Amino acid sequence: MNVDLFLHLWIMILIYIIFAMSLNLEVGYTGLFNFGHVAFFGVGAYTSALLTLHQVPFELALVAALIVAGFSGFLLSIPSLKLRGDYFGIATLGFGEIIRMVFQNEVWLTKGPMGLPGIPKPVLFSYRFATLPQYLLLTIGFTILTFLVLRFVTRSPMGRVFKAIREDEVSTAALGKNIFHFKIKSFVIGSVFAGLAGTLWGHYTTFISPGDFTLLETILVLLIVVLGGKGTEWGPIWGAIVLIFFQESLRFLKLPAEWTRYLAPLQQMIFGSLLIFLMIYRPEGLIRGKGGR
Amino acid sequence: MSFLLQSIFNGLLAGCIYALFAMGLTLIYGVLNFVNFAHGELIMWGAYFLYLFMGTPFGFPLPIALIPALFFTILLGIGMDRFAFKPIRQANRLTLLIAALGLSFLLRNGAQLFWGAELRTYGFEIKRGWRILNMSITINQMAIIITTLICIVIVYLLFHRSKLGKSMRAVSDNLELARVSGINTKKAIQFAWILSSALACVGGILLALDTNLQPGMGLINLVKAFAATLLGGVGNLWGALLGGIIIGLAENLGVLVISTGYKDAIAFGIMVILLLLRPPVLYGTQE
Repeated sequence: MNVDLFLHLWIMILIYIIFAMSLNLEVGYTGLFNFGHVAFFGVGAYTSALLTLHQVPFELALVAALIVAGFSGFLLSIPSLKLRGDYFGIATLGFGEIIRMVFQNEVWLTKGPMGLPGIPKPVLFSYRFATLPQYLLLTIGFTILTFLVLRFVTRSPMGRVFKAIREDEVSTAALGKNIFHFKIKSFVIGSVFAGLAGTLWGHYTTFISPGDFTLLETILVLLIVVLGGKGTEWGPIWGAIVLIFFQESLRFLKLPAEWTRYLAPLQQMIFGSLLIFLMIYRPEGLIRGKGGR
Repeated sequence: MSFLLQSIFNGLLAGCIYALFAMGLTLIYGVLNFVNFAHGELIMWGAYFLYLFMGTPFGFPLPIALIPALFFTILLGIGMDRFAFKPIRQANRLTLLIAALGLSFLLRNGAQLFWGAELRTYGFEIKRGWRILNMSITINQMAIIITTLICIVIVYLLFHRSKLGKSMRAVSDNLELARVSGINTKKAIQFAWILSSALACVGGILLALDTNLQPGMGLINLVKAFAATLLGGVGNLWGALLGGIIIGLAENLGVLVISTGYKDAIAFGIMVILLLLRPPVLYGTQE
């Protein structure tokens, strides 16, 4: 196997691990059915891409991307967290589509469907992460950081409240916890890390357009969480390794060009069916959570 | 002034279609107590089935092609329930929703596999409309209004005048109680799927007549149908009808003020405002 391909594969896997871990906090630990998680991935990617394209240093752009992603998560969570279960799910699904419309329509800012080319490679403390091994190092660093922060969060008293909300909202409220506030916290933290994943992805591919932030991404990341085992620390990691390996390796098979028209929908049909089969036969995923459902 | 009238007319027209979607969505919610995320794909496949039977191997005219299109959409709806939702009816909600989302994605890409992602139309030539009150009204548009009215009358009769409709209302009121009263709940659930799929199929065809066909048309219309459902009160069939019309009007009047690129976002905007204004109504929907 080609070394570059191998490095590329791992960079993608790590970015999706961060993305999936952030969703896992919401879906797996807090029981929030967020079906529009790609929105915050996109917000992070666009924010830092736009800023760095306007010569803002990467450190600042990254911080700004996390803040904007977290803040948009906060804004969305206020109306939608008043909804329960399926309603919350559909509201977030809609939100994911709306954000994409914003990317598409605000041409003055995002260049619309043309997308943003030439996103610079990140420079952290005057060290430039330009080559594949360097970028891999950067993503490894951020993945470990995300893993540790989210582990700290889920093991903290706040994390225990999240899990309590997942198991039984009414009893948690009866214990004097403000469910609404805790849900917002979970949602905002999740959005911030989705923004981080988006930032890393944007600076890696160096070109983003509204078409990159569709339902496919949401489905993919949800599938990673569900396949690995929602509400577990290692689930998103195993899920991402399996799924991204599958997805990216298809891309590098030397297939005839006329097949590609059929390949993309076929692959996505497999993702959809996998979600259904997992839900019917093994809803807990590869790894079973402790004490959870 | 005539511009405004035309917008109102177009809004009512779109509203009729959304109402059909919303009624189907709320029907399933009523009996099974979950939002069918794949309802948008029933709409989309309904429209594509008609396209299929009007297309080359068959070449049926529209009224005849409608029969197999309806049949296959209903089959798809029942199949959905039988193979995806029924095995997990007792599971927790997250499981059910993720399965529905996966199903929606599967069906959407299935359509893309067969027909590609490009926009398609039924290929009717565009006819000049009649002019009434300075508004242009085409035959297609008349057909949309008449078909919607017929659907509503049929649904009303089924729901309030037939035994099956009565049992369905009982099931949506309280499944357990209906079961102990000797109502065949399985049959009622199946009937709800038939009705919901048929409404989705007709609505999808009307939408495709008015605009075009595209594999992605399901998702955005699911969101609109959902907004209409919320507006009308969840599980309330006639509220869904009203909600759909309001969404349609708001969309077509809204684009007079904001960019047309955001037309599809208006339903979502209404939903958000609604949630902020009267949240108590929406609490406690989960039993």
